[in-house]
Amino acid sequence: MNLFRRLFSQEKDGDPAMPPEITKVEKATDPLTMPPTTATLNVMFGDGATRPLPEDALIAFMGNGHLTFGQATDIGMVRTNNQDSAYSFFSTSRSVDERPDFGLFLVADGMGGHSDGEKASSLTARTVATTVISTIFMPVLIGNTENQPPISEALTAAIEKANAEVIKHVPDGGTTLTSAVIIGDLAYIAHVGDSRIYLINKDSIEQLTRDHSLVQRLIELDQLTPAEAADHPNKNMLYRALGQNEAVEIDTLTRRLPPKSKLLLCCDGLWNQVDDREMLDITKQTPNPQEACNKLIALANKRGGVDNVTVILLQMPG
Amino acid sequence: MPETTQFSGNGSDNNQDTTLKANFVLQNRYKIMGVLGGGGMGTVDQARDLNFTDVRRLVAIKEMHTLATDGALRASMLKTFRREANILAALSHPAIVKIYDYFDLNDRAYLVMEYVNGSDVELLISKTKELPPEKILEWAIDLCDVLEYLHSQNPPIVFRDMKPSNVMIDSLGKVRLIDFGIAKTFVSGVKHTMIGTEGYSAPEQYKGDVTPQSDIYSLGATLHHILTRKDPRLEPPFSFHERPIQDYNPNVHPGMVTIIEKALSFKVEDRFASCAEMKAALEALRYRPTLTNAPVPVTNGGRPVSTPTASVGVSNGAAASSAAPVAVPKAATEFFDEATGTSGEVQPRWTFKTEDEIRCSPTAIRDLAFVGSYDSNVWALNLDTGQQVWKYATKAGIASSPVIDDTNRMVMFGSEDNTFYAVDYRSGRLNWSHTTKDRVRGTARVEHGHVFFGSDDGKVYALGAANGRVLWSYDTTAPVRGRPFVTNELVIFGSETGEVFAVTLSGARKWSYRTRRGVISSPYVDTKEGICYIGSTDGFMYALDAANGYNSWRFRTNGPIISSPVESKGLLYFSSADGFVYAINAQSAREKWKFQTEKPVVASPLVHKDLVYIGGTDHYFYCLSADTGKERWKFKTNGPITSTACIMGEVILVGSMDHVVYALPLVS
Repeated sequence: MNLFRRLFSQEKDGDPAMPPEITKVEKATDPLTMPPTTATLNVMFGDGATRPLPEDALIAFMGNGHLTFGQATDIGMVRTNNQDSAYSFFSTSRSVDERPDFGLFLVADGMGGHSDGEKASSLTARTVATTVISTIFMPVLIGNTENQPPISEALTAAIEKANAEVIKHVPDGGTTLTSAVIIGDLAYIAHVGDSRIYLINKDSIEQLTRDHSLVQRLIELDQLTPAEAADHPNKNMLYRALGQNEAVEIDTLTRRLPPKSKLLLCCDGLWNQVDDREMLDITKQTPNPQEACNKLIALANKRGGVDNVTVILLQMPG
Repeated sequence: MPETTQFSGNGSDNNQDTTLKANFVLQNRYKIMGVLGGGGMGTVDQARDLNFTDVRRLVAIKEMHTLATDGALRASMLKTFRREANILAALSHPAIVKIYDYFDLNDRAYLVMEYVNGSDVELLISKTKELPPEKILEWAIDLCDVLEYLHSQNPPIVFRDMKPSNVMIDSLGKVRLIDFGIAKTFVSGVKHTMIGTEGYSAPEQYKGDVTPQSDIYSLGATLHHILTRKDPRLEPPFSFHERPIQDYNPNVHPGMVTIIEKALSFKVEDRFASCAEMKAALEALRYRPTLTNAPVPVTNGGRPVSTPTASVGVSNGAAASSAAPVAVPKAATEFFDEATGTSGEVQPRWTFKTEDEIRCSPTAIRDLAFVGSYDSNVWALNLDTGQQVWKYATKAGIASSPVIDDTNRMVMFGSEDNTFYAVDYRSGRLNWSHTTKDRVRGTARVEHGHVFFGSDDGKVYALGAANGRVLWSYDTTAPVRGRPFVTNELVIFGSETGEVFAVTLSGARKWSYRTRRGVISSPYVDTKEGICYIGSTDGFMYALDAANGYNSWRFRTNGPIISSPVESKGLLYFSSADGFVYAINAQSAREKWKFQTEKPVVASPLVHKDLVYIGGTDHYFYCLSADTGKERWKFKTNGPITSTACIMGEVILVGSMDHVVYALPLVS
């Protein structure tokens, strides 16, 4: 109790305009109707005492400070198994250490007969997650980043490790892997295959990753128009995936995520059915990221749901 | 997603269900000896022809076996197989295996062919370290010959599956083409379903268009694989131009490189019109010594593969040094000739000779140019005429570039006499100065009403720009020679300790990042993305999150990086003591191009209107295309250039160690 009181008092002394951080608000869909006035803030925290927060205060402070996310996956309407894997990890803290928020988000779309696809994607998700948490997250949390390799290199190494694991344990399986490590508001992206990451701003959607597919290459070389590619017989042929070769080339890039922007990770089960414009519209109209994920999947299923669908949506604070 | 398929690593089928056992005698004539391999749709067995009792006559028997129970599919496969037999039976060429017999037996079909004692090229590649270039040239000529023979049939036959594993080298060292499983007579305008080996197939084959020139592409791909030993099936499709042959195999004749590049053009019309034309080009290389600069006997020789990206690797470097063995005709200089209408020589508008080396960058404002010299003076010159307006003498050499504070009408610079000076830029009169405990070689930055600079005494100073009053100093314990970068929150700089420091505007440490060697390079911060780029003498270019110092990526060069990076349109430009100027993607650290000079480069690039300007210690000042790294022009001074150029109006100011500052015209 004393500890709580101290923490509250400190917040007040340090920055009277900033209320204490409220870590999780479930009802994020409710509209922000009542922004607090300075007067109400003073009333609420003027004495520094610990007490339950009034309901409208919860609503008023939601989204203050860190990213929120949703994740959803569905078997679709046709398949008998779900070969996709998804993983989300997010850590936020408040202390004098000033550790940045940390997140790891990934989508892996497995391929191969029997249950090889789902084995390859789950093994990949597990390997990348455990490796990234020990080689990137732990040093950040401990505060010992001095002699660490660059984040992109550590992320690449984690994916290379997953590749070796898949070759060893699931020799007939393969998987795509699209991942984002978030530190503060910087996204470190690494990617193999044709799952995608989109950066969504107010009125724009930008595909950050490049599909490692035959049709994409043909488009890049002006040998095929995007319209022709849409119904190309080799539409799903990949030239790069995990579990295929000992050496795998991994695309990496870093991007600053502007306030209020969103990052959408998805497998081809979504982007084959739902176009960019619809992704933009749905994420724009649905403030709750989990609900937006559900709506995107529902739309893909409505269009036939011919493939497994997996979506992760991150929403940056603004 | 079971629908997603993978490029198979190897084209061969699984042969476990071979139906012919060893010692089985087929048709009372062919005694099976063993399996030779699989290809297309059947197994190939080696057999002995028992009709020849006294000699051991060996044949190859290709058996079509299918597990397909569907009648129509079976019929279609049998038809394909019969077609192969018919194609082969009608052909006669020394590089095409002879066909002896064809028969059906128990629902299976058999093709009896000449047995070729040898090895396919794929196997040769894996079993050898290097194949002699002369041999490869002969094979290439022979392959052109046999393809030309096929294409000249009526109707033309397109082989469609040219790849190392379909080329045998027999015991006499001669080329033999095997596996006509998918060869098709070519009917113009009809779209076929796509078959072919990924990695070697031409782009148009994926649209179902197949022409004789598709074979030319695949031949180019095959030769590229043999020479570079980089298996295209493990690389992105159609990415041959990203792997220049001479990067992997410097012994290849440049003419050969040009021919292969032409064969690998994306557009059909950019390739050779026929195999005969390609053969003629190859034959012309026969008696030439390797590594010459002689023009290549190709109609549009030297023309790079027909995409913008492709031209990077090919033409780059050719103009950079006359020693580069890539045969690019004078294209590189043509641009400049056109642009100026002169002989291609850049003529300075004026020059000004100081009394010692110019090691730091000139600067200018309105009609005045300022140059610091190791003669201990800062010279103020008329920008139009180069005439001296004033000079300010310090007590030692000047290695710190003068910077302008327009608000206070001052020019500021450090001197090796340990003092930092702020001088009225109109009159050259001293406004204020601040003395540190060691030489001031770092260039200053004026921002937020303050001036920030580093000293060899290990400290970075923040002084009021108007009066020189000390706001704070930050001690790094080793000389600071780079120029601090100041954002709205942070001051970022490198130190000889090897660290990069970020301190708040009030002088408190925010973060530091340790590279492996001293940092002389100045940081560049992309304030929009919040990424700080900085080079280190450990040879790496680093990308750090400006907010917390986390290292996002690093890019390796083969020499210390003293040069300071600059970002423009998503590309990061810098140079290294390894002699190269680099342009890399700022987000992915992927190399876009590099440009080779003849000596280490320590100067920093200047990017202006899609052009990169940079001086080298090879005495040259280069103007490169920002997009491709292609040289636009160069200008020779009489000494190494170690400083960055400055553009003001229509003039580029370049200082050289030959004591001279050159005012070159800005050619647009």
